[in-house]
Amino acid sequence: MERYLTCGAPEHCLSRRSLLAGMLGAGAGLTHVAGLSHFIQPALAADLAAQQKRVLIFFMAGGLSQLESWDPKPNTDTGGPFRAIPTSVPGTHICELLPFTAQQMHRLCLVRGVNTAEDDHGKGAVFMETGRRDSPAQRYPALGSVVSRLVAPPTSALPGYVHIQPGGGGVNKADAAFLGPKFASITIGNGQPPANLLRPGDLTPAADQQRNDVRLKANQRFTARRRTAETEAYGASYDQARQLVERADVFDVTKESAQDQERYGSHDFGRHCLLARRLLEQGLTCVKVTHTNYDSHSENFDFHIEQLGEFDRPFATLIDDLAQRGMLDSTLVIVMSEFGRTPKINHLFGRDHWSKAWSVMLAGCGLQKGAVIGKTNENGTAVVDREVDARHLFHTYLRAVGTDGTANYPGLNRPIPIGDPAGEAIEELLA
Amino acid sequence: MRHNGGSAYLTLVRLRDPTVLGRGRTAMKSSLPAQNRVRWLAAMLARLLPFVPALVCSADEAPRPAPPAAAPLHELVDQQIGAALASKGIAPAARAGDAEFLRRVYLDLTGSIPTLGEAKAFLDDKSPIKRQQLVDRLLNSPEYARQMQRVFDVVLMERRPAQHVGQAPWEEYLRNAFAANKPWDALVREILAADGADPNLRPAARFYLDRGGEPNLLARDVGRLFLGRDMQCAQCHDHPLVATYLQTDYYGLLAFFNRSFLFTPKTEPKAVVFAEKAEGDVAFKSVFVANATDQPARPHLPGEKEADEPQFEKGQEYAVAPADDVRPIPKYSRRSQLPVVLPRGENVAFRRNIANRLWALMMGRGLVHPLDMQHDANPPSHPALLDLLGERFAVMGFDIKAFLRELALSETYQRSSELPPGVEALAAEAFAVAPLKPLSAEQLGLAALQATGITDVYRASLGPTLNEATLHEKVAANLPGFVGVFAGQAGQPEQDFQSTLEQTLFMANGGVLRSWIAPQAGNLVDRLNRVTEPAAVAEQLYLCVLSRLPTAEEAAEFTACLQARAQDRPAAIQEWIWALLASDEFRFNH
Amino acid sequence: MSEEQPTASPPPVPDPTQVRQVKEFKHDRPLFACRIDRTGRYIFTGAEDNLVVRWEIDSDNKVALAGHESWVRAMAFQPAGELLATGDYAGKLCAWRWADGATTPIYQIPAHQGWLRAASASPDGATFATCGNDRFVRLHSAADGKLLRELPGHESHVYNVAFHPSGGQLASCDLKGVVKHWDLSSGTVVRQLDGSLLWKYDSGFHADIGGARGMAFSPDGTWLACAGVTEVSNAFAGIGNAVVALFDWATGERKQVLRPKDNFQGVAWSVAFHPAGFIIAVAGGQHGGALWFFTPAEPNPFFTFKLPAGARDLALHPDGFRLAIAHADGVLRLYDMSPKVTPPPAAAPATTAS
Repeated sequence: MERYLTCGAPEHCLSRRSLLAGMLGAGAGLTHVAGLSHFIQPALAADLAAQQKRVLIFFMAGGLSQLESWDPKPNTDTGGPFRAIPTSVPGTHICELLPFTAQQMHRLCLVRGVNTAEDDHGKGAVFMETGRRDSPAQRYPALGSVVSRLVAPPTSALPGYVHIQPGGGGVNKADAAFLGPKFASITIGNGQPPANLLRPGDLTPAADQQRNDVRLKANQRFTARRRTAETEAYGASYDQARQLVERADVFDVTKESAQDQERYGSHDFGRHCLLARRLLEQGLTCVKVTHTNYDSHSENFDFHIEQLGEFDRPFATLIDDLAQRGMLDSTLVIVMSEFGRTPKINHLFGRDHWSKAWSVMLAGCGLQKGAVIGKTNENGTAVVDREVDARHLFHTYLRAVGTDGTANYPGLNRPIPIGDPAGEAIEELLA
Repeated sequence: MRHNGGSAYLTLVRLRDPTVLGRGRTAMKSSLPAQNRVRWLAAMLARLLPFVPALVCSADEAPRPAPPAAAPLHELVDQQIGAALASKGIAPAARAGDAEFLRRVYLDLTGSIPTLGEAKAFLDDKSPIKRQQLVDRLLNSPEYARQMQRVFDVVLMERRPAQHVGQAPWEEYLRNAFAANKPWDALVREILAADGADPNLRPAARFYLDRGGEPNLLARDVGRLFLGRDMQCAQCHDHPLVATYLQTDYYGLLAFFNRSFLFTPKTEPKAVVFAEKAEGDVAFKSVFVANATDQPARPHLPGEKEADEPQFEKGQEYAVAPADDVRPIPKYSRRSQLPVVLPRGENVAFRRNIANRLWALMMGRGLVHPLDMQHDANPPSHPALLDLLGERFAVMGFDIKAFLRELALSETYQRSSELPPGVEALAAEAFAVAPLKPLSAEQLGLAALQATGITDVYRASLGPTLNEATLHEKVAANLPGFVGVFAGQAGQPEQDFQSTLEQTLFMANGGVLRSWIAPQAGNLVDRLNRVTEPAAVAEQLYLCVLSRLPTAEEAAEFTACLQARAQDRPAAIQEWIWALLASDEFRFNH
Repeated sequence: MSEEQPTASPPPVPDPTQVRQVKEFKHDRPLFACRIDRTGRYIFTGAEDNLVVRWEIDSDNKVALAGHESWVRAMAFQPAGELLATGDYAGKLCAWRWADGATTPIYQIPAHQGWLRAASASPDGATFATCGNDRFVRLHSAADGKLLRELPGHESHVYNVAFHPSGGQLASCDLKGVVKHWDLSSGTVVRQLDGSLLWKYDSGFHADIGGARGMAFSPDGTWLACAGVTEVSNAFAGIGNAVVALFDWATGERKQVLRPKDNFQGVAWSVAFHPAGFIIAVAGGQHGGALWFFTPAEPNPFFTFKLPAGARDLALHPDGFRLAIAHADGVLRLYDMSPKVTPPPAAAPATTAS
């Protein structure tokens, strides 16, 4: 076994010299390392857009009902009151609550045979997001942190993993687990930019520049004979922060056109979808949008009308926009929950937690367009064909973004396989 | 409770005998080269029986140099590190200057940087033994106990939130232990024996209680934190590559805990204790072996034998039988065997783990690194030295203060962090140059408070009531902001250094730091604003923030800046303070 | 749902305190709606399927009426006519000749986008009013279903609609508890009544819960009752209290909040005025169902009867003694309030409704 004595984190491999070269190449000022970031170089954007893989996760918090969305069973004892509607893929029907999404079905694929056998919100979310069953002794990183570590360009000024949700912002270090807080999600709560992104009012750009010059000079002296991977990383993070401060409007959805804002809708989720598009376009690697809430133990149908009524159009608009802009082929889109909901309708018109037979929607990144993988029985109570769980899905996500989930994480000081060795990718979904 | 020296000696001798070891594993054998064994015995006997060394030497027929036990440990450290460097032809870095040593040892032993007065006094001190005097003074300060409390809080709890034991009593427990210099084995014995029922020792039960009493988590963390072995990957199968990482060993540790559970009395729901049943067995099978059958595992430490257990007739297993709202007490407690067998000087893994952890605390990385990856395939950089440190620490009665003192006095610790001229790089595991140790979240916050003079403002405000405790109370109120941003994720081992966007934005634009460098009566910027002579301003600025005098070049630049910015001199001074706080030199303990 | 009042006379003198189950009709899906025809011969139900079922009370004869495309919650009889209007969650309105047992509707029209939640017949029988999730109230010709008028203005799902006994006025209530009083000659909103106690935006779940699940005018038109749920603390677990808001129609003021003392956890799904002057409400929740009898003068019921399962709809029999309740366990239960032996003196105060 090799000795894991060196840190293989990509930022550590990056030499100061290359940073400076990039900076000069971009013709920027002395302390601006503009060459680091592709998002401020439109000329490069198209190229990178084609090469760089991105991930867009919709997390339907609480547990989206598969019967009211991807796997309707109309006119059965479990089907509920809604009808199934045809989609842009002949023969594939989804619930009538998703009319706009139905028109995008030729770009999407459905995995209808998900059996995760985990009916607890917390554990279900961990399983779905990390591809590993929740274990008290070991937490694994969430998909967004994994791609932030493995797929995000190490030199980007943008954070690798941004989570957009209603409510508060902050950094969720738990997401990154042993990968470290650098790969944690930065939460954009209700569209607010990350904490301290905006320069305080009493600090002029000129004063900021001056103090930064002093810092750089001090560092130059200190590191002349002390340069380490750690000092490189520390310095690079200041460069990154300074760049991002200059481009704080990356997080400002109001900079999008009025027409687009109208297309996405004036509610929070519409704005969040438009912000997700903006961030992905600027080169951010993983965006997770949480839509809440679907945990409808009572009046499931009313609540799904309300929530999916909000979800459908902005989601479909975003899929369409990504496709129109040529980004869908390099962007993996996932619609997931902790679990699905019980086929049995309870006496409060609710559906409870159900992980035995539910659906996940995927799109983009070369996944089979319009595919339906897996099948449930007539009233949706069991998987009858191509049963998969979160481990298979996780391996599939990784393969889609060009990463081998059966390998160990690079740069860790112990051997940890990226995906659960007990799972494997859903090959027929991969092109 | 302390070990009786004599019996410890006998046990050690028995353990050295491979026939006593029984299933003697590679790790045990390879860790005991003959020469070390003799050295260890000599050290042991030198301490316990002053008249014995001659006997040992005469008993050893091979010609050998004078007993190394005569030399202080810090000299042995330097000998071994030096010999390794010499064998590789590596020239180590020069000795650290006084200022570099000063800042380093303050941060390591007190968690913060020196005050202006302390820095000046040390730099002006002409005594040839001033470094030793400083080490001794710091080790005996209340700040030392609090710093060790912070360090071991993170080591033992890994920033888990308090659930059943408050953070404050836990910290007090740890601080008292380090203030009293409680030996490590005694501290661990207390922690592993605590169940939360004894009010005096309830804080010690936090290790168990705030991990929810979860057996797998406890098995893993006891292995990692007290034995230096992360057995996680042995949960499902024998380690495919490491011969001594066996599934049976993971389950042997688990078996100490699998009967334990958190018991919540109905009448007193907050008085959760760690209780145990008399039944419940552990069995495992490898996921790699098709159709594997379950193998039972009884409690045992990795590499050791399963102990025999008393058997009771059915119905006779309990001293207090389980009943509604009654905490059961088994006649034979598996868990209570752990504090008996684990924290012992004879336990090689136990003593090597703590020696390695304390070494890493001072030297920036372990002799085995990562600290919880002690196994055959990840050998120490200096195997004999690690053996020596473990053995000597055990012989010293696990006296943490004395051990840290030896490390601090070593030349290895006191090297400069600057590479020698002409050398482009040195491997960290050679210990040829002082490492750059990232400040912990708390160190960074405390150092920034001291640097900006906020701590001085508190000192002045406390007047006659000033002492470590009253000052801490004031200062600590400022720390949550820093800790929230700079600390690692709860439940994860401390990671390799990372600098996050959140942290850098906090430093660059955050209100906390900005308020500290805005003028207020008595803080650094305020004091500097009242000094007219630029050279004097520069001197105080560098001493306060970086614990050193400015170089001539730095002083000249600073002076030129102040002269050029006579119009907005205070703003210029603030910019410099910020720049030094945000510099690499401040971020790392170098 | 609006409750068509029976026209039987003279007013019976039932004793609610002696209410007891007298019959069960079992369906294979949870029931959702029920109405009794003016002759008292049939009970019609809607359920968690796409069927309307006609149950003959005396014979147990069961006829399933097909034509709907989703669950049927809305039901309204022409007060004196031959037609039963039913509406489903696909937005479809069907009309049936209820007496002849024909299993196909005489007409079916797409009346709403999305759920058609409630229907009411005008006192003269010429008009069916419907409402639904498309936020419209619509008036249809009872004879052929033709759209007569659209009443736009609600800003959320319209949960219920009821004709005032005078005929020229209509009340509708939406998800947020906005009650609109429509003048039917002009099609305009006369005023709005504040039923917002029936609504809550649950900020934890980012969702609304509310609406008048049941709605009825008193036979003399002086009271409007809206049944639903209030003080919701957890919308998604269904934790809130069943309630009936009682409005004085003359002034539009909310005069009474009817609810059991024990704060029944659940939803009041239906409310009806008995010609004798008391108010009947049924509810279903986490812990089963309840049947309450109120007077307009008191906030708490003067009698409570525990039901074996959650109740979702209520229909009065024209004899004034019996009532049918549609239950979540798929059982339609018939109850009897007639005095068992000797009529108790003034079992229910009849003053307020006179």
